[in-house]
Amino acid sequence: MEFLFPSESDKWLAILRIGLGLQVTVYTLFLKSDWHYLFAGTGKGLVSRELGEAIISFDSPSIPKLGWLVALGSYVNVAEETVLSVAWACLLVAGCCLLRGLFCRPAARIAWFLHRCEAQSGGLLAYGADNFMTMGLFYLMLSPLPDRFSVDHRLVKIKPKDPQLLGFWRRVLQVHLCLVYFFGGLGKSLGSGWWDGSNLWRALTRPPFDIISPDILIRFKYLLPILGISIVLIELGYVFFIWMKETRFIWLGCIVGMHIAIGITMGMYLFALVMIVLNLAAFGADPGFAERRSRTIRKKFERSKQTQYRCLV
Amino acid sequence: MIPKRIYAAWFVVHFFLITAVCFAGIFSLVAEGTTALPSVLDKYARKAELIAAFVLGKEAAASSPVRRGVATYLYAAGSQSGYTFFAPNVPGYYQLSLELNYEDGRVEYESPRVSGKAAALRLDSLLNRLADDRYEPIREVVVKMLVFSVWREHPGVKKIRATFGSVTPPSISDFGQGKRESFQPLFSYDFSLRTEQNE
Repeated sequence: MEFLFPSESDKWLAILRIGLGLQVTVYTLFLKSDWHYLFAGTGKGLVSRELGEAIISFDSPSIPKLGWLVALGSYVNVAEETVLSVAWACLLVAGCCLLRGLFCRPAARIAWFLHRCEAQSGGLLAYGADNFMTMGLFYLMLSPLPDRFSVDHRLVKIKPKDPQLLGFWRRVLQVHLCLVYFFGGLGKSLGSGWWDGSNLWRALTRPPFDIISPDILIRFKYLLPILGISIVLIELGYVFFIWMKETRFIWLGCIVGMHIAIGITMGMYLFALVMIVLNLAAFGADPGFAERRSRTIRKKFERSKQTQYRCLV
Repeated sequence: MIPKRIYAAWFVVHFFLITAVCFAGIFSLVAEGTTALPSVLDKYARKAELIAAFVLGKEAAASSPVRRGVATYLYAAGSQSGYTFFAPNVPGYYQLSLELNYEDGRVEYESPRVSGKAAALRLDSLLNRLADDRYEPIREVVVKMLVFSVWREHPGVKKIRATFGSVTPPSISDFGQGKRESFQPLFSYDFSLRTEQNE
């Protein structure tokens, strides 16, 4: 039980909220020009939204989708285009609210719901970043918001959150990231191309990730096997070394560096950003980490509870 | 205040499901014979993949509440698929080339396009899915929709030939010797846009 409920401050939650707020905002702005084209119904966009939704419905019809909102809109005589525009605007506003810390919990719920709808409706067009965004928003809306750095906290004096509950949700995020990297590394370690550098060459030269010219890459061909092996070892080793105090920041630095490199060299900015945010929230905040500070935080929490009790009496 | 035991129980169930999804992904890679592991393991990996699918309720009837409940939960948590990106190896990529035949005999070549980089990654993801055997039943419909999206921008077109193929990039040593990527057509469709019938 102690592993699941360490005492934590809410710094990590502030990082997660601000980071995901930034992610949602940037995500909606990046998709602005293609939003209608990607999510329009049959005959109006790139591929039909209905087709993606029908495929997802095989798994379960109760997974949120944009079709629900469009149906609701048509019930009150609102056109599909307007519904899609409103959904886009709401997602942007939810992102900005998260970034600022205004109406944190409703904003997290709306952002999670709308993003889930969009990811399901564009199921055929979805990629890795979508799942990580949903995962982050899912944990954010379940976590004890608001944190003390939010506008909500300044506007309404909210009682301090239970440090053990904060610790629990941080632990959930930490364990999830360990699974992500362990299985990611395990999968890569089973392919020969990560050990001889050929996978890195292929990843960096295939469209739409071919930002660096192959002529430049070939100059560094002796580095590719080293980088390929490093990626496998960093991912596989994450589950062990991120927990050890001596190696935590080295590993965190390596993994954040890896995602920055993915963002810059492959143009996967959204994927890089969400992974960096999740990592910093999970293992970046509170350099002293829970063990050292847990007693102090717990004492502060108990004292604040006593103060409130005295006020009430 | 929810008791700690409830949180702990949720934690166990949540990560049990996610671990099953992750193992299903790894076993699937081994079963497909795409890894460097000996092929004798393929059949065991297939069995293990089926066990993982059973745990996730995927072997139950489509209308099963357990299957639907697990699927809905995993989608809600963003954990419906494993984390084997670019594993075990980075695959080649796919292209959809469209030959636009105009009424006056002109021929132009096009590809489905989006304007932003974020959307381009999604289009790439769609083309990769089209090559997957699991998407074979909807392949023609999706290609037809992609063709239609291009046709809307070129209303004078009489006929479109859509050719979908895989592109094999050169290895690093081949590139050094001057070789470039090669295109291997996998299937093609002719669309007559007046009737929108696949010939």
